[in-house]
Amino acid sequence: MNVIPIRSSSEIRLTVNGRPVTLEVRPEALLLDVLRDRLQLKGARRSCDMQVCGACTVLVDGAPVSACTYLAVEADGREVLTVEGLADGDRLDPLQEAFIEHGAVQCGFCTAGMLLTAKALLAEEPSPSPARVAEYLRGNLCRCTGYRKILDAILACAAPGGGTR
Amino acid sequence: MPRLHVDRLRSGDGSEDEYRVVERTGLAAWDATTALTVVGRPYPRVEGAEKVTGRACYAGDVRLAGLLHARVLRSPLPHARIRRIDTAAAEALPGVHAVLGTHSAPAIRWYPDGLLFDRTLRFVGDEVAAVAAESEETAADALRLVAVEYEPLPFVVGLEAALRPEAPPVREGGNLVGPPKVYARGDAEAALREAPVVIDETYTTQTALHNCLEPHGCTATWDGERLTLWDSTQSVFDVRERVAETLGLPEHRVRVIKHHMGGGFGSKQIAWKHAVIAALLARRAGRPVRLMLDREAENLAAGNRNATRQRVRLGATRDGTLTAISARIEQDTGAYLVGGEGSNTSAIYQTLYRCPNVTTEQVGVYTNTGPAVAFRAPGHVEGAFALESAMDELARALDMDPLALRLRNYAEADQRRGRPYTTPDGLRLCYERAAAEFGWRRDRRPSGQGSRRRGIGMAAHDWGGSGYPPGYAWVKLNGDGSAEVVTGTQDIGTGTRTGLTQIAAEELGLPLERVLLHLGDTATGVYAPVSAGSATQATIGPAVRAAAAEARRQLLEAAATMLEAAPADLQLREGTIRVAGAPDRALDVADVTRRIAPHMIQGHGARGPNPDGKAVRTFGAQCVEVEVDVDTGEVSVLRVVASHECGRIVNPTLVDSQVLGAVTQGVGFALMEERVVDAGGVVLNANLEEYKVPTAPDVPAVVHARVDRPDPEANATGAKGIGEPPLVPTAPAIANAVFDAVGVRIRHTPLSRRRLLAALAAHRPEPA
Amino acid sequence: MRPFAYASPRTADEIIALLTPGSAGADGASRPLAGGTDLLTLMKADVATPSRLVDIKRAGLPKGIEETPPGLVVGGLTTLAQIETHPAVRARYPALAEATAVAATAQLRNVATVAGNLLQRPRCWYFRNPRIACWLKGGDHCPARDGENQLHAILGGGPCHAVHPSDVAPALVALDADARLRGPGGERTVPVEGLFAAPEGGRRRETLVGSDELLLALRLPPADGSRSTYLKSMDRKVWAFALAGVAARLRLDGRRVAEARIVLGGVAPVPWRAHEAERALEGAEAGPAAWDRAANAALTGAAPLRHNAYKLPLARALVRRALESLAT
Repeated sequence: MNVIPIRSSSEIRLTVNGRPVTLEVRPEALLLDVLRDRLQLKGARRSCDMQVCGACTVLVDGAPVSACTYLAVEADGREVLTVEGLADGDRLDPLQEAFIEHGAVQCGFCTAGMLLTAKALLAEEPSPSPARVAEYLRGNLCRCTGYRKILDAILACAAPGGGTR
Repeated sequence: MPRLHVDRLRSGDGSEDEYRVVERTGLAAWDATTALTVVGRPYPRVEGAEKVTGRACYAGDVRLAGLLHARVLRSPLPHARIRRIDTAAAEALPGVHAVLGTHSAPAIRWYPDGLLFDRTLRFVGDEVAAVAAESEETAADALRLVAVEYEPLPFVVGLEAALRPEAPPVREGGNLVGPPKVYARGDAEAALREAPVVIDETYTTQTALHNCLEPHGCTATWDGERLTLWDSTQSVFDVRERVAETLGLPEHRVRVIKHHMGGGFGSKQIAWKHAVIAALLARRAGRPVRLMLDREAENLAAGNRNATRQRVRLGATRDGTLTAISARIEQDTGAYLVGGEGSNTSAIYQTLYRCPNVTTEQVGVYTNTGPAVAFRAPGHVEGAFALESAMDELARALDMDPLALRLRNYAEADQRRGRPYTTPDGLRLCYERAAAEFGWRRDRRPSGQGSRRRGIGMAAHDWGGSGYPPGYAWVKLNGDGSAEVVTGTQDIGTGTRTGLTQIAAEELGLPLERVLLHLGDTATGVYAPVSAGSATQATIGPAVRAAAAEARRQLLEAAATMLEAAPADLQLREGTIRVAGAPDRALDVADVTRRIAPHMIQGHGARGPNPDGKAVRTFGAQCVEVEVDVDTGEVSVLRVVASHECGRIVNPTLVDSQVLGAVTQGVGFALMEERVVDAGGVVLNANLEEYKVPTAPDVPAVVHARVDRPDPEANATGAKGIGEPPLVPTAPAIANAVFDAVGVRIRHTPLSRRRLLAALAAHRPEPA
Repeated sequence: MRPFAYASPRTADEIIALLTPGSAGADGASRPLAGGTDLLTLMKADVATPSRLVDIKRAGLPKGIEETPPGLVVGGLTTLAQIETHPAVRARYPALAEATAVAATAQLRNVATVAGNLLQRPRCWYFRNPRIACWLKGGDHCPARDGENQLHAILGGGPCHAVHPSDVAPALVALDADARLRGPGGERTVPVEGLFAAPEGGRRRETLVGSDELLLALRLPPADGSRSTYLKSMDRKVWAFALAGVAARLRLDGRRVAEARIVLGGVAPVPWRAHEAERALEGAEAGPAAWDRAANAALTGAAPLRHNAYKLPLARALVRRALESLAT
């Protein structure tokens, strides 16, 4: 049977890149679609669409999550950071600078997710070891770069004295 | 001034004559002695800031008022005929604006023998219907309301099954794509009969999926009778031609734009159905439409690297001289010929080694699975796995160093056409640099501790990458002394924008930041071919240089009047024009352009011809070290040394990235990537969870032992392609290293844990 | 996703009422939503089609790790990320810390809860594919049995041959953890091992937890001198479900094994307690001979399918390796 029930909506209030946002969303609305189509924040990208590839990674209350499989209603009352919120005005985040400098950007489709995952890692562990960075980034797939320059860029932003974990 | 050469190629068979037009510029090539200041430097990508801020616009990012979302209903059956289709309920659903299906779509030809929406479906994922609606969810709801009655037809999955005499036919006429493509020089059979040492083995390679992070798709909008498509494509001009032709539009009313693309790897080198479907839906709905494939569709219906089965026979004398190479190749074309396979698996057998007796026979086989399309070095990756594994087996049989065996059979000419290479020592240089950097030693013994065994292996390759005419560019000098370069090529993520900008800046004598390059737009750009075959830099680079040279000539003529000197006495560097020998007589480029404004200096440039009588190729060799855990079947690639001859390196960072990325895909192809199709024709891992691609920890330490040597005979920049070649030797080098480590030869990719453990169990004389 | 209703109750009673078939407000097709990493993926694949999701994260249910010396209580809503990094877990229950660390990705571990992890559905590529009818989804037979079964069960398979995908579950079973559940009839406590049963007959699920029950918390008994570990083999270095995993716990008395737990993941429809291996170990002298015996005993009764016999040597190797690492 293919009966299509009416899709109802409810109101959510969240903070996106520091700005309060109030939206009417349906229960099945995904955070990724709300960000991309309602808020015109295109940096988070749909790729695997099953939270395995990391291209849609955003930070919710500081933690990386896959926006493609995260209900918008669940973001009610939370703080969301997307790649558009990384720079401080015209001043790029050091990670963004390092990605450019180290050639960590290739096709660019994974870049936003990589940056945000790295941002969360460095906030949690300011001086991770190279192996730890690679391991932490395992949920961010890249098909172009071979990862090496991405890891180099992140390590360039780590505090000195890389841990052993 | 460029000179136009028009050659008439008489068909002789009654069909229309062809004309080949080549422009010759007379520009002296940059050779090893030319001092360059911008080209050769590791500039960061010119579009880096757009990408790290999320601003970079991909095919699905276009903002348009009233944008609709399209989804495609796909065949649930591997082979079926649509008896009846009813879309009334879908059309009646609020929020649905257009529906297309076999019953309602125009009869647009697609594939050699089908329609855009055909009643016959030949693989799970074949297009049945499409809808455009206010939201993705509504579109999905609508698809569930499309009632289709299918008549299931007998189907066949997999190469071997499709080749059986009793196999159900994928289409009338059977399952062979055509007669075998046969190549022969000398007499391989006779040579094999006489050869003192013969290797005769069969190798298979898997179906691999591109899994570009950005799926195929586009956004389409109409303005009256003008269509604009933002497509995720490697060829804006090919998409324009196909869409215009199928929709009956003149080409100037179709504009195809591609700003940025999230990977293509060959899968986006042709125009796919989605572009035409989106255009039709948008026209029907009277609103713009976005049609991005989902991951499953991407993996079902947007191409794959075809599986192969290759019987390889090598004949050699006791000193390791190859006397015969024979390959019989079967490959799984899938359900349709899409026209962009490029999968010439035979080629590497014909060229990589010097051998007088070579036979290859290649046949494509239809099966009821998604169609194959080019995938980064198509054919060569598959062929190299078999040939380079067989060469390793031959080296073992001869008790010879694999490197020495390769050097003994070194080819300095393209033996298919009897043409010497422009860089006959190119591959030798790669062998030398890779071996030196790696520390390759023939007497090295496998090592290891406990269950972990280490081994080393190597493999080599050749590839095209010459680039070719035609391809064009313009350069404009603005009144303020800044320059714009316009070309119709596209940057598919490789860094084309940056490399071409460097070439323009070099020729114009301007700092990089005073040059901006525009590409990826058929309305504003001049023709450039598909970005494929590792050809973009070597095709468009010389055109950009020629355009810049023409602009430079005009600039210096104007400056000569102002400086009261002869143009030939002027030097142009870093934005300043100086009179030779008179350092105080100088002008900034902007001083010249400002004084002649609003006159605009414009340069036109074309890609010149490739050299007559010579073959332009790229070469490479890789050495790898692996560790195999014989208890768990885990293969760890510890390090890879890659050396590739691609002429001049325009930007070392970009070239390193191609090498690193390609080796990583090679690791995936060698160890984990494999499409799995159930006997019922359903792809079981059409997603990024079950289809494994390498993650960051899977990537070995890669050293790129650069061979940065201009090939001035190749083209005016001396640079050749590097996009594909570094993927070619990785898998066989790994398989050879695995054999070195554990003494077990795996002739089938991928070398998964499962395959390793099964092979080890079969070979191990006693339990550990 | 198909449309659904969404509720976010503030009390456990309200949640349970919404989940209970036939009770007030329930429609029989409500599903609890915790991290959603499994459920939402199933819904996106059109394999699960609940008419309502009941968010259980805003009702004050236990979340986080509470030290209850000498044991530990882990709230059902605790995320895998919280467990992985918790000092007490790392110090005293390394099998659990290691299992959470090798599970999934940062993105998933930040959202996925331990209760959801235990109750997740199989990753079987037939089960998850909406184009295929399989026994677990109400079909007639298991297509994996004679199909592409390289990832499937070698132990305890049939009628469903999918494997339990959790890394955390074998660790918790090996650690003798208990689960506290709450349903319409009140609370009950069962060993974590008792949460699971291979699907059979009319119960086409891998768990004995009722659809109207909430897994409130897990209680870990004192480590008591035990050492534990979790080892996992995957199709790549990281970020894949286990081809085979083993959680092992040993308590040594001098050179003798006083107590042993061997629990396999990725090889059976449930976390597979290898009783015969445990018996082979208990009382034995620690050393390679005992590890080999245990490794062989762990696979007692294994019945590999056409494409998955490789899992036998693989699981044996992991058992041996785990025991070696615990005894040195």
